[in-house]
Amino acid sequence: MTNSVREIRDADCIFITGSNTAEAHPVISYEVVRAVKKGAHLIIIDPRRIPLVDHATLFLQPHPGTDIYVFLAMMHVIIREGWMDETFIAERTEDYDAFAAILEGYTPERAALASGVPEEKIIQAARWYALGERAHGESIYEEAHGHSTILYAMGITQRSNGTDNVLTLANLSMLCGQIGKPSTGVNPLRGQANVQGACDVGGLVNVLPGYQQVTDDKLREETAKTWEVEQLPCDVGLTIVESTHAALAGEVHAIYVMGENPMMSDPNSNHVEEAFRKLDLLIVQDIFPSETAYLAHVLLPAASSLEKDGTFTNTERRVQRIRKVISPPGEALPDWSIIADIAARVTQKLDRKPGPEAWKYDSASSIFDELTLVTPIYSGMSYDRLQPSGLQWPCPSETHPGTPILHLDTFARGQGKFHAVEARDPAELTDEEYPLTLSTGRVLYHYHSGTMTRRSAPLHWREPRGYAEINRQDAEAIGLKDGFAVIIHSRRGTIRTKTKISEGVPPGTVFLAFHWREAPANRLTQDHTLDPIAKIPEYKISAIRLENPRAR
Amino acid sequence: MITLSIDTKTIQVAPDTNVLKAALDNGIHIPHLCYHPELSISGGCRLCLVEVEGQDQPVLSCGLTAAEGMVIQTQSDQLKELRRGVLDLFISDHPLDCVVCDKAGSCTLQEYAYEYGLKDTSYEPTVSSTLFQDDNPFFLRDHQYCILCGRCVRVCDEIVGVHAIDFANRGFETNIATPYDGPMIDSTCVFCGNCVQVCPTAALMPVSRLQRGREWDLDRTLSVCGYCGVGCQIEYATKDDAIIYAQAPEHGAANGSFLCTKGRYGWDFATSPERLKQPMLRRDVAHELGLTEEPWALPETSPLDIRKPNVEQYFVPVDWDTALEFVSSRLSDITESHGPDSIMGLASARCTNEDNYLFQKFMRAVIGTNNIDHCARL
Repeated sequence: MTNSVREIRDADCIFITGSNTAEAHPVISYEVVRAVKKGAHLIIIDPRRIPLVDHATLFLQPHPGTDIYVFLAMMHVIIREGWMDETFIAERTEDYDAFAAILEGYTPERAALASGVPEEKIIQAARWYALGERAHGESIYEEAHGHSTILYAMGITQRSNGTDNVLTLANLSMLCGQIGKPSTGVNPLRGQANVQGACDVGGLVNVLPGYQQVTDDKLREETAKTWEVEQLPCDVGLTIVESTHAALAGEVHAIYVMGENPMMSDPNSNHVEEAFRKLDLLIVQDIFPSETAYLAHVLLPAASSLEKDGTFTNTERRVQRIRKVISPPGEALPDWSIIADIAARVTQKLDRKPGPEAWKYDSASSIFDELTLVTPIYSGMSYDRLQPSGLQWPCPSETHPGTPILHLDTFARGQGKFHAVEARDPAELTDEEYPLTLSTGRVLYHYHSGTMTRRSAPLHWREPRGYAEINRQDAEAIGLKDGFAVIIHSRRGTIRTKTKISEGVPPGTVFLAFHWREAPANRLTQDHTLDPIAKIPEYKISAIRLENPRAR
Repeated sequence: MITLSIDTKTIQVAPDTNVLKAALDNGIHIPHLCYHPELSISGGCRLCLVEVEGQDQPVLSCGLTAAEGMVIQTQSDQLKELRRGVLDLFISDHPLDCVVCDKAGSCTLQEYAYEYGLKDTSYEPTVSSTLFQDDNPFFLRDHQYCILCGRCVRVCDEIVGVHAIDFANRGFETNIATPYDGPMIDSTCVFCGNCVQVCPTAALMPVSRLQRGREWDLDRTLSVCGYCGVGCQIEYATKDDAIIYAQAPEHGAANGSFLCTKGRYGWDFATSPERLKQPMLRRDVAHELGLTEEPWALPETSPLDIRKPNVEQYFVPVDWDTALEFVSSRLSDITESHGPDSIMGLASARCTNEDNYLFQKFMRAVIGTNNIDHCARL
């Protein structure tokens, strides 16, 4: 997030797209509800009628994959009506002209045709967002315009044009000067407890800790020096989905999986399974025998986050302490201590510098201290300084108070860059054989592949089994009613689950969470066309067909 | 800023601050039951009365906006008598079974009764509602303890935005109810338990907490939720190395004093009997290493199609040294025979920064590959 969670309550206009906030980030939805109760406008753009729509003052429901037409048309209208922030554009940004030129073709008429969203709603959304208008009440910001904030999540990123979608929202915020101030910004709501931190500390193929490019010789050498190793690899590595392809091609021989369940969470599960079966070595280090574990050669029992010390970094870049609440079961150990032991042994066997002693860590805090040496955005942090409320990065020095709002006076790269982005269609369009669109995601009571929440008694009681949300029209077309068995086919595979007739999904769209091992949604999703830059799979759009098992 | 005096202390507050908040924020305690700093003002409990210089009658401090030069007294014989009278009425409609009550020690009504020296009511005790609703495994609604402060109703509407409950019936018959007093699951309730968190008495209690120990015997550990990325701070109450219940701290950095259903109630996975408790080698690997006698082959059945997964059918337990020696020699062999880029590491958004940092350092500095990714895109 460019801004912080608790600023949302003071926004004048909140624009949410591709985030089912009340179910996937409930506590952030509380901030939104508070803002709306005080008079903020709430604009939601989503193909599904998500629960937070109950509080929206404007709901735009585009056909799946067409939201980018709506975003582009909003900007078209903003420029046409002169609602943009010309001072901000002139002083803080660059490449505006090429960007604005592209928008000329994206009229609300065209967006309405492509997305099914009425023109007047697009114009209304454009005005409220650009000018930060409220439904009622007074803004706490005593300025000519109110403050508008954008919240988004995987609904716009898990797409073959996910990067374009994000750049478009960034363009929108810069166009209106709705960034670099409290209660504004472009705010991705991150879905997992430490997904931000895992990225920050280098759990990505192209960057060392602190987002330092692996291809940059100087940065690589600096890190190598701190680690006392001769050199570090300079080629960008393989992402998760690419590694599955590489395993099938015989290029990857071993995969070491820590705390992940790719059999449930990666696209095209049948493909993943085929790849994993080919491996010479699959190591699974986890708290439960996950679906992936059943293909592993070895299982290493790990302590859960309730059973160890360490830090998590949340969606607003806040690094916070986690503490050991209870003891791990049996012989389970914190992940870091397992890794350190393996690393010491491999160092010895491969005769790597500086030797196995370098892998002796006595506590999580000693690792954190080392981490801050090679992670510039964390360099002012220590466990002591993280009490009691954590620190938001960048925190470059020991006296730096942390950074609640990014891009205040200048952007990280200097001037904010407008990207001229065109609309693109999803990779897999519906056709006669597969006439419906499947979108995957989460429900309130479960989390990710369900490994933890499906083993929680109260959560299981509330939501015991999987279901596909289907519009009445699509269900009745093949004689299905609520609670009936249904078979779902895609080009990748077939699953069986039960129906939940829901007006929350529009005709033509089916929603299925990916928590259910008995109905694994990712047997249906595609892994052939990823976003070209982020390499993210298009979980939100797969072409499918429904079958009524009784009609066989 | 507005300057006022409370109990002779000079205090500065922002405009539109009520006197109760001004006092509490400055360490001056005024008793209150229906007021909650995150919720709208109700004024129903009548406990937060104060004296304002120049006014004849005591005034509710929660509903009184601080004004320049205001002089407030929070303690006097008159106020004490009035508050005592209010508390007397409260406990006339509340079981005085604190000796067995799970809320004892963190019950606000109990605290005030103690402070104002009320051992019993001077009225004839009558409990207005004895509804006992245990219709879900998240929380219990025991209406005899309910003092109708309405905090639960306000948090459900004003913060969570689902408005699953409200006041039903009138006068002495009033109780808090879902529409038509149906089961919780049939209402719009999302089982976030924020109503339980703001309840000052034992009317709303976490099921996991019942008869699991006195409040003062519980240890408390502040940590961060392991589910989504909001990073809610959670205070876990434990006893004998087991979690008894979880709640938000008073001032979580991102979450304030609120949580969702997964954070508040979804921690019991940790003690599931299915947890991996020791390192294990797959049966064919174990056989290869001479650890088992029977040969074994990985079944064709997809892990997604195994009806009742049983880890022991596939794996045999081994000690840590055997497992780690196997892992490290295989990784070393593959690195040497196929090169570092034939190895892939999948780190985790559910593990700590420390775990992930060491994992990527191992892949980069020891194995020698940038094949290190995690579930950020999934």
